[in-house]
Amino acid sequence: MHLTHPLELFPERSVTLLLFNRVQNAAALRKKAMEGSIEGALINPAMIVDPFQVLVAANKAVHLHKIGKMKTRTLNAEIIFNLSPNNNISDAFKKFGISDSDTAVLIVLVVDREKMVNLEDIASQVEGQQVSLDELPQLTDIAKVKKIYKITPQEEKIGTLLDEKGMGWYTMAPTDGCSVGQQLQRCTEQQIRSG
Amino acid sequence: MRGRVVPGGRFCGGFPRAVGGALRVRRFPAAVAEDCRSGERRACAVSRRGPVMAATAGDAGAAGAEDGAAGPVRDGAETGEPGPGAVEAPPPALPGLQLVQQGAEARVYRGSFLGRAAVAKLRFPKLYRHPALEERLSRRRTAQEARSLLRCRRAGIPAPVVYFVDYASNCIYLEDIVGAIAVQDHIYSVQRSGSDASSLLGLAEKMGQLLARMHDEDLIHGDLTTSNVLLRPPAERLDLVLIDFGLSFISGLPEDKGVDLYVLEKAFLSTHPDTETVFQALLQSYAAASKKSGPVIKRLDEVRLRGRKRSMIG
Repeated sequence: MHLTHPLELFPERSVTLLLFNRVQNAAALRKKAMEGSIEGALINPAMIVDPFQVLVAANKAVHLHKIGKMKTRTLNAEIIFNLSPNNNISDAFKKFGISDSDTAVLIVLVVDREKMVNLEDIASQVEGQQVSLDELPQLTDIAKVKKIYKITPQEEKIGTLLDEKGMGWYTMAPTDGCSVGQQLQRCTEQQIRSG
Repeated sequence: MRGRVVPGGRFCGGFPRAVGGALRVRRFPAAVAEDCRSGERRACAVSRRGPVMAATAGDAGAAGAEDGAAGPVRDGAETGEPGPGAVEAPPPALPGLQLVQQGAEARVYRGSFLGRAAVAKLRFPKLYRHPALEERLSRRRTAQEARSLLRCRRAGIPAPVVYFVDYASNCIYLEDIVGAIAVQDHIYSVQRSGSDASSLLGLAEKMGQLLARMHDEDLIHGDLTTSNVLLRPPAERLDLVLIDFGLSFISGLPEDKGVDLYVLEKAFLSTHPDTETVFQALLQSYAAASKKSGPVIKRLDEVRLRGRKRSMIG
């Protein structure tokens, strides 16, 4: 039911996606994620068109983590940040992370191939039903996706929504940070931590 | 031979590929590789390559066997024994990797990335360059190419989707358009089968419209040749895709757009004899489709009067 895909460029790692519907305890889950007691990134499935989108974000996050040039503090935060077209971390969390009133949750885990990952453990923390990723298209809010990624009608003509919606944004800025940028990042992260 | 510097100008990347896209093999004389160079190369390469090599070292051996035609690819730095023709960049670690083409600037591989058919374009380090320049230049070219591809997509110009850009190894992972053939090959096959005018005129019209749209976005391709435009299958639908934006830049000047068209004209007429009417049709379609085409066509005529073996009067 869950989807696991190895990351080709990072042979020891693979990405697992778990989709949950009819979730009751979104607020509690969000708090747990912020503390760091849940191993994965919690994403709002309404903004996800296809698992490939998440795989690309996770791939970039793992790459940046490996070379030590992440913009956020943890790998999971980086995955959520990479989904966003903006360079603003708190904005990314607001739009792509889960909010207290969400009824569906997509959990993304990046694991080492050998390490045994306990999916039931994570599933038990969620008060909701785990569903197959084939149901993801039903949960997608296409209008919102188009608005956030600013997809123009011309772009839609040359490719699918998945292609457009932001493959580009993942690759935009080259990864050399400046001290001002890092300070800004630190203070937006404080905002997230304090809720 | 070592002292010869390849100019990084506008035309150097284009024409070699226009002549049939032959594989270029880099061969360094063995004498060059050894004493003075090896130490230097090892020093600068290790500092640059660390994390990437660790991940791909395992695959370098396997993939090295496949691109035999391109010359052995080895982590020269680590083994300390460069060998003749050794270029240090390990190929990207994608499953099903195979070398498609080696150009002067980069190597193109095909493979699968996150479950999709993808193309990896790797700008390998040029050992004849000073390492500091090398670093900066490769990174700038990679970033410029990625940026242009995204700009095209934003504007609705068909170009491959960028999946991932690795600035550490200067490698771009793009969508692979399965079954696509270059316009160059298409024209060859059409000419060989006899029929000339009709089908190629339709193609010319489409190309003219595509270029008009691109230039209206102030995007200059920089290396327009018939092998840098692909046709999505089935070829009759004339679904064009532009590739290879390595020499592209942003400019609103009619001069740059005129030169862009001039490059295409030269490449077109030199690789495909007896196609003057086709190119004329392309220009007419361009003029009709682009709002700013007047000055551009004028500049094109002026540019034609320049160049080698032309009299500069006036």
